[in-house]
Amino acid sequence: MRAKTLRILIPLAVLLVAGVGFVLHIGIGNLSSFGWGDISLLCPLGALGSMLATKTLIPQAIVSLGIAVVLILLLGRAFCGWVCPVPVVSKLREVFAKKKALPENGVEPGNECSVAVLTDAEREALKVNDACQATKRGKAGRSGGCASCASCADVRAQLDSRHLILGGSLLSAAVFGFPVFCLICPIGLSFATVFLVILLFSGGDVTWSLLVVLALLIVEVVLFRKWCSKICPLSALMSLVGKGNKTLRPSIDDTACLETAHDAPCGRCALACEQAINPRHHDLGARWSECTKCRACVDACPTGALSIPLLVQEEQGARRDRKTDADVADAAR
Amino acid sequence: MSDEKHVDGAREDRKAPKSSDRLYAGMTRRTLCTGVVGIAALLGLGAVNLAPKEDLVRPPGGQDEERVIGACVRCERCVESCPRGVIAPAHIEDGVLAMRTPVMDFADDRCDFCVEENGGVPLCVESCPTRALELPVGVDPQSCVLGVAKIRTEWCLAYSAAGCRFCYDACPYEAIRLDDDLRPHIIEEKCNGCGACEAVCVSLKNGSISRGANERAVTVKPALGKGGGR
Repeated sequence: MRAKTLRILIPLAVLLVAGVGFVLHIGIGNLSSFGWGDISLLCPLGALGSMLATKTLIPQAIVSLGIAVVLILLLGRAFCGWVCPVPVVSKLREVFAKKKALPENGVEPGNECSVAVLTDAEREALKVNDACQATKRGKAGRSGGCASCASCADVRAQLDSRHLILGGSLLSAAVFGFPVFCLICPIGLSFATVFLVILLFSGGDVTWSLLVVLALLIVEVVLFRKWCSKICPLSALMSLVGKGNKTLRPSIDDTACLETAHDAPCGRCALACEQAINPRHHDLGARWSECTKCRACVDACPTGALSIPLLVQEEQGARRDRKTDADVADAAR
Repeated sequence: MSDEKHVDGAREDRKAPKSSDRLYAGMTRRTLCTGVVGIAALLGLGAVNLAPKEDLVRPPGGQDEERVIGACVRCERCVESCPRGVIAPAHIEDGVLAMRTPVMDFADDRCDFCVEENGGVPLCVESCPTRALELPVGVDPQSCVLGVAKIRTEWCLAYSAAGCRFCYDACPYEAIRLDDDLRPHIIEEKCNGCGACEAVCVSLKNGSISRGANERAVTVKPALGKGGGR
């Protein structure tokens, strides 16, 4: 089964299991908190919010936070790519979207410029990068990242709007005394929708909550199409902790990659990445800590050069990558 | 399919570099604005806690309202854990802040504090991951007061001389007495709001609905008795 299908089926299965548990009063919970009896794993953001709001230490919350940190260090943002129901719910957007005939290259009209020049864009970006570096080298006498272009820097910034919102949600919880973000968390709202529908049909529990919860969920996830990368504080938390994650990184076999083996333009892996990571030229995209291990780049690679090994032999790959970039820079000069 | 390709804005930002884009603490103006608007929205939502709140009948261990609102992450595990199905998520009608927090719903059964099911340790308390529901040490079912039953005499069948005494028979705490006309009265100091009377009350069943009745004649209300509850 392809990763793309699995990434839809797993969150749906999680919703289903939570729903069945709810009907049968099993008590296994959902992604906000799951477990058995008095053992439970709590959402790390909920744990933080709850402790800040009550100004108390909650043993379960601390243990949950510890486990969450370990899981994020081991798996990065894999939760976002494989378990979270939000990307699946956001597929509703496609239902509402007007169906357009796609051109042969599978690119929507209006987006052509980035795509028709797909490879050129990558090249250009590379040149821009080199130019930046060259300028820097010339002026400051040192090479470094490409911080002078806002677009590049924004994508690679240490902090972005998600982190501000993460801070805001914790601040608000501490000031006003309740876990504020939990009220509007789309993950919680997804499960709440399932439960409210069950209660409506099983117990005749008629309430405006259902409409409010659904409306909120749709506004957040369908209308804000950048929820996950621009707003979600849980994603912010994961990308912060995920900076320490070294496993399951996309790795390129240079002997098979079109760009290195045949000097042919490609860039499909970078285009496929929903997190704007560029696996080939990593300096041009988002940081590895944004990777959700979704395997979109692996599936997009025309030569099968990409894989996601448990551990990359980092030095080798990095050295080769650097060498390639340096070569391009030399050529440009 | 292809929609996926621009789910995220990051790439779009990258493909259209503007030399005029200034950076604020490493962020573009747009990113910064999104963040600031988000923070403002969350602080605004937090301020809802300053508004007056309705009293609600909470599950065992949830009698400290501030603790419930403060610690509850709205995971609804207590609702799911309840073996008798007497816990329900609060409605938005109970307040924005209370929505999805646990409240008692005695439509079908009463709360026995899991004496039968779990030896007297309520499963809702046991399953709560943030201790929003937490029983004070040494509390037994008799002394944990969820609320207090109230009788709406205009809806009660006994008060219209229909000879009903279901609630009197159901009360496990002998907190209901019958007067000389066989009409029930709540003995408030004995009632702990377990909901047995509400669960058996037939006043809303077919053939016995009183004009204007929107809940049963006997219902459990918050113990401090200010608000209307559910």
